[in-house]
Amino acid sequence: MNRSDCGAVRDMLPDVVGTDGAAHETRRFVERHTAECESCAAELVLIRELRRTRPEPSTALATRLEQVVRYERQAVQRPWWALTAAAVAALMLGIAVSSEPAGEVVAPAFAIEAEENWPWASADGLVAGGPVFDDLSDEALGRLLEDLSDNPGGA
Amino acid sequence: MSEEGRGDGEVPDAELVKRARKGDDGALGSLVRRHQAGAYRLAVSYMGDRDAAEDVVQEAFVKAFRALDRFRGDASFRTWLLRITANEAKGTLRRIGRRGEARLEDAPDVAGTGPDPAATAVMAGEAERARALLRLLPEKQRLSVSLRTEEGLSFREIGEVTDSSEGAARVNYFHGIRRLRELME
Repeated sequence: MNRSDCGAVRDMLPDVVGTDGAAHETRRFVERHTAECESCAAELVLIRELRRTRPEPSTALATRLEQVVRYERQAVQRPWWALTAAAVAALMLGIAVSSEPAGEVVAPAFAIEAEENWPWASADGLVAGGPVFDDLSDEALGRLLEDLSDNPGGA
Repeated sequence: MSEEGRGDGEVPDAELVKRARKGDDGALGSLVRRHQAGAYRLAVSYMGDRDAAEDVVQEAFVKAFRALDRFRGDASFRTWLLRITANEAKGTLRRIGRRGEARLEDAPDVAGTGPDPAATAVMAGEAERARALLRLLPEKQRLSVSLRTEEGLSFREIGEVTDSSEGAARVNYFHGIRRLRELME
Protein backbone atom coordinates (compact mmCIF):
# COMPACT_ATOMS: atom_id res chain seq x y z
CA MET A 1 0.00 0.00 0.00
CA ASN A 2 1.21 3.46 -0.85
CA ARG A 3 0.47 5.97 1.95
CA SER A 4 0.96 8.87 -0.44
CA ASP A 5 -2.18 7.72 -2.29
CA CYS A 6 -4.40 8.38 0.75
CA GLY A 7 -5.04 12.03 -0.15
CA ALA A 8 -6.08 11.21 -3.70
CA VAL A 9 -8.20 8.26 -2.58
CA ARG A 10 -10.05 10.24 0.08
CA ASP A 11 -10.84 12.83 -2.57
CA MET A 12 -12.44 10.14 -4.72
CA LEU A 13 -14.39 8.21 -2.08
CA PRO A 14 -17.73 10.08 -2.49
CA ASP A 15 -17.55 9.58 -6.27
CA VAL A 16 -17.02 5.86 -5.83
CA VAL A 17 -19.98 5.61 -3.44
CA GLY A 18 -22.25 7.50 -5.82
CA THR A 19 -24.09 5.37 -8.33
CA ASP A 20 -22.99 7.25 -11.39
CA GLY A 21 -19.87 9.26 -10.66
CA ALA A 22 -16.61 7.38 -10.93
CA ALA A 23 -14.96 5.76 -13.89
CA HIS A 24 -14.04 2.07 -13.78
CA GLU A 25 -10.32 2.79 -13.33
CA THR A 26 -11.04 5.09 -10.40
CA ARG A 27 -13.12 2.41 -8.69
CA ARG A 28 -10.35 -0.18 -9.17
CA PHE A 29 -7.74 2.22 -7.81
CA VAL A 30 -9.85 2.97 -4.70
CA GLU A 31 -10.72 -0.70 -4.16
CA ARG A 32 -7.05 -1.72 -4.28
CA HIS A 33 -6.09 1.02 -1.84
CA THR A 34 -8.90 0.49 0.69
CA ALA A 35 -8.23 -3.25 0.72
CA GLU A 36 -4.96 -2.47 2.47
CA CYS A 37 -5.50 0.95 4.11
CA GLU A 38 -7.64 0.65 7.24
CA SER A 39 -8.11 4.39 7.65
CA CYS A 40 -9.37 5.01 4.11
CA ALA A 41 -11.53 1.87 4.34
CA ALA A 42 -13.17 3.23 7.52
CA GLU A 43 -13.83 6.53 5.79
CA LEU A 44 -15.36 4.70 2.83
CA VAL A 45 -17.73 2.88 5.20
CA LEU A 46 -18.73 6.16 6.84
CA ILE A 47 -19.42 7.86 3.51
CA ARG A 48 -21.33 4.85 2.25
CA GLU A 49 -23.55 4.93 5.36
CA LEU A 50 -24.20 8.65 5.00
CA ARG A 51 -25.18 8.12 1.40
CA ARG A 52 -27.36 5.11 2.18
CA THR A 53 -29.32 6.91 4.91
CA ARG A 54 -29.66 10.26 3.18
CA PRO A 55 -33.10 11.81 3.76
CA GLU A 56 -35.65 11.29 1.01
CA PRO A 57 -38.57 13.66 0.47
CA SER A 58 -42.15 12.44 0.66
CA THR A 59 -43.74 11.55 -2.67
CA ALA A 60 -46.29 14.29 -2.06
CA LEU A 61 -43.58 16.96 -2.18
CA ALA A 62 -42.85 16.53 -5.90
CA THR A 63 -46.57 16.75 -6.74
CA ARG A 64 -47.00 19.85 -4.59
CA LEU A 65 -43.92 21.48 -6.09
CA GLU A 66 -45.05 20.77 -9.64
CA GLN A 67 -48.41 22.42 -8.93
CA VAL A 68 -47.02 25.59 -7.34
CA VAL A 69 -44.27 25.94 -9.93
CA ARG A 70 -46.74 25.56 -12.82
CA TYR A 71 -48.95 28.20 -11.26
CA GLU A 72 -46.01 30.57 -10.86
CA ARG A 73 -44.86 30.07 -14.44
CA GLN A 74 -48.37 30.68 -15.76
CA ALA A 75 -48.49 33.92 -13.78
CA VAL A 76 -45.12 34.98 -15.19
CA GLN A 77 -46.09 34.08 -18.74
CA ARG A 78 -49.52 35.76 -18.66
CA PRO A 79 -49.34 38.60 -21.23
CA TRP A 80 -49.03 42.14 -19.90
CA TRP A 81 -52.33 43.24 -21.45
CA ALA A 82 -54.20 40.47 -19.60
CA LEU A 83 -52.80 41.68 -16.28
CA THR A 84 -53.65 45.28 -17.18
CA ALA A 85 -57.19 44.32 -18.20
CA ALA A 86 -57.64 42.45 -14.90
CA ALA A 87 -56.39 45.46 -12.95
CA VAL A 88 -58.72 47.83 -14.84
CA ALA A 89 -61.69 45.50 -14.28
CA ALA A 90 -60.93 45.33 -10.55
CA LEU A 91 -60.65 49.12 -10.40
CA MET A 92 -63.97 49.62 -12.21
CA LEU A 93 -65.69 47.15 -9.93
CA GLY A 94 -64.31 48.99 -6.89
CA ILE A 95 -65.56 52.35 -8.19
CA ALA A 96 -69.02 50.92 -8.94
CA VAL A 97 -69.36 49.45 -5.44
CA SER A 98 -68.11 52.53 -3.62
CA SER A 99 -70.33 54.92 -5.62
CA GLU A 100 -73.55 53.05 -4.77
CA PRO A 101 -75.68 55.14 -2.33
CA ALA A 102 -75.42 53.75 1.17
CA GLY A 103 -79.05 54.49 2.13
CA GLU A 104 -80.58 53.97 5.54
CA VAL A 105 -80.04 50.57 7.09
CA VAL A 106 -83.43 49.13 7.89
CA ALA A 107 -83.68 46.22 10.25
CA PRO A 108 -85.74 43.32 8.89
CA ALA A 109 -89.15 42.80 10.38
CA PHE A 110 -88.12 39.82 12.47
CA ALA A 111 -85.20 41.65 14.13
CA ILE A 112 -85.82 42.38 17.79
CA GLU A 113 -83.67 44.61 19.94
CA ALA A 114 -82.03 42.59 22.69
CA GLU A 115 -83.41 43.35 26.11
CA GLU A 116 -82.50 42.34 29.58
CA ASN A 117 -83.72 38.81 30.36
CA TRP A 118 -83.95 38.13 26.65
CA PRO A 119 -83.82 34.34 26.21
CA TRP A 120 -80.66 34.13 24.06
CA ALA A 121 -78.60 36.59 26.10
CA SER A 122 -75.96 34.96 28.31
CA ALA A 123 -75.06 36.26 31.76
CA ASP A 124 -72.16 38.38 30.44
CA GLY A 125 -74.33 40.12 27.90
CA LEU A 126 -73.21 38.10 24.90
CA VAL A 127 -75.76 36.40 22.74
CA ALA A 128 -74.79 32.77 22.91
CA GLY A 129 -75.99 29.26 23.47
CA GLY A 130 -79.48 27.90 23.12
CA PRO A 131 -82.61 29.74 24.23
CA VAL A 132 -83.68 29.57 27.90
CA PHE A 133 -87.42 30.11 28.28
CA ASP A 134 -87.81 29.30 31.98
CA ASP A 135 -87.62 32.87 33.25
CA LEU A 136 -89.92 34.41 30.63
CA SER A 137 -93.34 35.74 31.46
CA ASP A 138 -96.38 34.44 29.63
CA GLU A 139 -96.57 37.76 27.78
CA ALA A 140 -92.98 37.48 26.55
CA LEU A 141 -93.52 33.88 25.50
CA GLY A 142 -96.62 34.91 23.60
CA ARG A 143 -94.66 37.62 21.77
CA LEU A 144 -92.06 35.06 20.78
CA LEU A 145 -94.64 32.66 19.48
CA GLU A 146 -96.20 35.47 17.42
CA ASP A 147 -92.80 36.28 15.92
CA LEU A 148 -92.19 32.63 15.11
CA SER A 149 -95.54 32.28 13.39
CA ASP A 150 -94.89 35.50 11.41
CA ASN A 151 -91.41 34.29 10.36
CA PRO A 152 -91.50 30.48 10.39
CA GLY A 153 -88.20 30.19 8.48
CA GLY A 154 -86.43 32.76 10.63
CA ALA A 155 -85.96 35.07 7.64
CA MET B 1 -25.25 12.02 -13.45
CA SER B 2 -28.97 11.60 -13.50
CA GLU B 3 -29.68 14.51 -11.19
CA GLU B 4 -27.71 16.86 -13.40
CA GLY B 5 -29.37 15.67 -16.53
CA ARG B 6 -26.14 14.27 -17.94
CA GLY B 7 -27.11 10.63 -17.78
CA ASP B 8 -27.54 8.52 -20.86
CA GLY B 9 -30.71 9.27 -22.73
CA GLU B 10 -31.73 12.09 -20.44
CA VAL B 11 -32.49 15.54 -21.70
CA PRO B 12 -29.89 17.95 -20.28
CA ASP B 13 -31.07 20.58 -17.80
CA ALA B 14 -30.16 23.44 -20.13
CA GLU B 15 -32.55 22.08 -22.76
CA LEU B 16 -35.33 21.55 -20.22
CA VAL B 17 -34.86 25.11 -18.96
CA LYS B 18 -35.15 26.42 -22.51
CA ARG B 19 -38.37 24.48 -23.06
CA ALA B 20 -39.81 25.42 -19.67
CA ARG B 21 -39.25 29.09 -20.44
CA LYS B 22 -41.39 28.65 -23.56
CA GLY B 23 -44.21 27.22 -21.46
CA ASP B 24 -43.52 23.49 -21.81
CA ASP B 25 -45.22 21.96 -18.75
CA GLY B 26 -43.53 18.60 -19.24
CA ALA B 27 -40.08 20.18 -19.12
CA LEU B 28 -41.06 22.09 -16.01
CA GLY B 29 -42.20 18.88 -14.33
CA SER B 30 -38.97 17.09 -15.28
CA LEU B 31 -36.85 19.83 -13.75
CA VAL B 32 -38.87 19.72 -10.54
CA ARG B 33 -38.74 15.94 -10.22
CA ARG B 34 -35.05 15.81 -11.06
CA HIS B 35 -33.93 18.35 -8.48
CA GLN B 36 -36.43 18.30 -5.65
CA ALA B 37 -34.71 15.55 -3.65
CA GLY B 38 -31.31 17.28 -3.65
CA ALA B 39 -32.87 20.59 -2.69
CA TYR B 40 -34.83 18.87 0.05
CA ARG B 41 -31.72 17.23 1.51
CA LEU B 42 -29.88 20.55 1.47
CA ALA B 43 -32.81 22.16 3.29
CA VAL B 44 -32.80 19.32 5.85
CA SER B 45 -29.08 19.99 6.38
CA TYR B 46 -29.88 23.58 7.25
CA MET B 47 -33.13 23.16 9.13
CA GLY B 48 -32.70 19.76 10.80
CA ASP B 49 -36.45 19.31 10.50
CA ARG B 50 -38.22 17.62 7.61
CA ASP B 51 -41.44 19.64 7.65
CA ALA B 52 -39.55 22.92 7.80
CA ALA B 53 -37.30 21.66 5.00
CA GLU B 54 -40.30 20.98 2.74
CA ASP B 55 -41.59 24.52 3.31
CA VAL B 56 -38.15 25.93 2.50
CA VAL B 57 -37.94 23.91 -0.71
CA GLN B 58 -41.39 25.02 -1.81
CA GLU B 59 -40.55 28.67 -1.27
CA ALA B 60 -37.19 28.27 -2.99
CA PHE B 61 -38.76 26.58 -6.02
CA VAL B 62 -41.40 29.29 -6.30
CA LYS B 63 -38.68 31.95 -6.31
CA ALA B 64 -36.42 30.05 -8.67
CA PHE B 65 -39.06 29.25 -11.27
CA ARG B 66 -40.50 32.73 -11.09
CA ALA B 67 -37.00 33.95 -11.97
CA LEU B 68 -36.31 31.24 -14.55
CA ASP B 69 -36.09 33.80 -17.34
CA ARG B 70 -33.22 35.47 -15.49
CA PHE B 71 -31.18 32.24 -15.17
CA ARG B 72 -28.13 32.97 -17.31
CA GLY B 73 -26.53 29.56 -17.23
CA ASP B 74 -23.21 30.72 -15.71
CA ALA B 75 -23.57 27.94 -13.16
CA SER B 76 -25.41 24.68 -13.71
CA PHE B 77 -29.15 24.77 -13.13
CA ARG B 78 -28.69 22.41 -10.20
CA THR B 79 -26.19 24.58 -8.31
CA TRP B 80 -28.29 27.68 -9.12
CA LEU B 81 -31.36 26.03 -7.62
CA LEU B 82 -29.41 24.74 -4.61
CA ARG B 83 -27.99 28.21 -4.03
CA ILE B 84 -31.51 29.65 -3.95
CA THR B 85 -32.57 26.88 -1.56
CA ALA B 86 -29.58 27.62 0.70
CA ASN B 87 -30.46 31.32 0.76
CA GLU B 88 -34.08 30.55 1.54
CA ALA B 89 -33.06 28.23 4.41
CA LYS B 90 -30.66 30.81 5.85
CA GLY B 91 -33.34 33.50 5.62
CA THR B 92 -35.84 31.26 7.40
CA LEU B 93 -33.37 30.42 10.16
CA ARG B 94 -32.66 34.13 10.59
CA ARG B 95 -36.35 34.95 10.79
CA ILE B 96 -37.04 32.35 13.46
CA GLY B 97 -33.80 33.16 15.28
CA ARG B 98 -32.36 29.70 15.20
CA ARG B 99 -29.05 28.13 14.22
CA GLY B 100 -28.89 24.94 12.19
CA GLU B 101 -26.52 22.98 14.42
CA ALA B 102 -27.85 20.51 16.92
CA ARG B 103 -26.57 20.47 20.48
CA LEU B 104 -24.28 17.70 21.67
CA GLU B 105 -26.82 16.58 24.27
CA ASP B 106 -29.39 16.03 21.50
CA ALA B 107 -27.21 13.51 19.70
CA PRO B 108 -27.32 9.82 20.50
CA ASP B 109 -24.64 8.69 22.90
CA VAL B 110 -21.19 8.51 21.42
CA ALA B 111 -19.25 5.36 22.18
CA GLY B 112 -17.32 5.88 25.39
CA THR B 113 -19.51 8.63 26.78
CA GLY B 114 -22.86 6.91 27.30
CA PRO B 115 -23.90 4.71 30.21
CA ASP B 116 -23.52 1.61 28.04
CA PRO B 117 -21.77 2.55 24.80
CA ALA B 118 -21.96 -0.90 23.24
CA ALA B 119 -25.69 -1.22 23.82
CA THR B 120 -26.26 2.34 22.63
CA ALA B 121 -24.31 1.74 19.45
CA VAL B 122 -26.33 -1.37 18.68
CA MET B 123 -29.62 0.39 19.37
CA ALA B 124 -28.98 3.56 17.45
CA GLY B 125 -27.17 1.88 14.62
CA GLU B 126 -23.92 3.23 13.26
CA ALA B 127 -25.53 4.90 10.29
CA GLU B 128 -28.18 6.70 12.32
CA ARG B 129 -25.53 7.75 14.79
CA ALA B 130 -23.33 9.13 12.02
CA ARG B 131 -26.27 11.09 10.68
CA ALA B 132 -27.13 12.50 14.09
CA LEU B 133 -23.50 13.41 14.74
CA LEU B 134 -23.33 15.14 11.37
CA ARG B 135 -25.75 17.69 12.75
CA LEU B 136 -23.19 18.66 15.39
CA LEU B 137 -20.74 19.97 12.81
CA PRO B 138 -20.48 23.69 12.13
CA GLU B 139 -22.66 24.81 9.22
CA LYS B 140 -20.10 24.98 6.41
CA GLN B 141 -18.51 21.67 7.39
CA ARG B 142 -21.90 20.00 7.66
CA LEU B 143 -23.02 21.34 4.28
CA SER B 144 -19.77 20.41 2.57
CA VAL B 145 -19.97 16.86 3.89
CA SER B 146 -23.65 16.53 2.96
CA LEU B 147 -23.31 17.97 -0.53
CA ARG B 148 -20.21 15.89 -1.28
CA THR B 149 -21.37 12.55 0.13
CA GLU B 150 -25.11 12.72 -0.52
CA GLU B 151 -25.23 14.64 -3.80
CA GLY B 152 -21.77 13.95 -5.19
CA LEU B 153 -21.12 17.62 -5.88
CA SER B 154 -17.59 18.70 -6.73
CA PHE B 155 -15.81 21.13 -4.42
CA ARG B 156 -16.27 23.89 -7.00
CA GLU B 157 -20.04 23.26 -7.02
CA ILE B 158 -20.14 23.12 -3.22
CA GLY B 159 -18.38 26.49 -3.16
CA GLU B 160 -21.02 27.91 -5.50
CA VAL B 161 -23.85 26.68 -3.30
CA THR B 162 -22.35 27.66 0.06
CA ASP B 163 -20.83 30.93 -1.12
CA SER B 164 -17.26 29.73 -0.48
CA SER B 165 -14.19 29.27 -2.63
CA GLU B 166 -13.44 25.82 -4.02
CA GLY B 167 -10.50 25.56 -1.63
CA ALA B 168 -12.58 26.52 1.38
CA ALA B 169 -15.20 23.92 0.43
CA ARG B 170 -12.48 21.25 0.24
CA VAL B 171 -11.05 22.21 3.66
CA ASN B 172 -14.52 22.29 5.21
CA TYR B 173 -15.26 18.86 3.82
CA PHE B 174 -12.11 17.21 5.13
CA HIS B 175 -12.40 18.94 8.51
CA GLY B 176 -15.99 17.79 8.72
CA ILE B 177 -15.24 14.18 7.80
CA ARG B 178 -12.32 14.02 10.24
CA ARG B 179 -14.44 15.48 13.07
CA LEU B 180 -17.23 13.06 12.27
CA ARG B 181 -14.85 10.11 12.46
CA GLU B 182 -13.51 11.38 15.79
CA LEU B 183 -17.04 11.65 17.17
CA MET B 184 -17.83 8.16 15.93
CA GLU B 185 -14.85 6.61 17.74
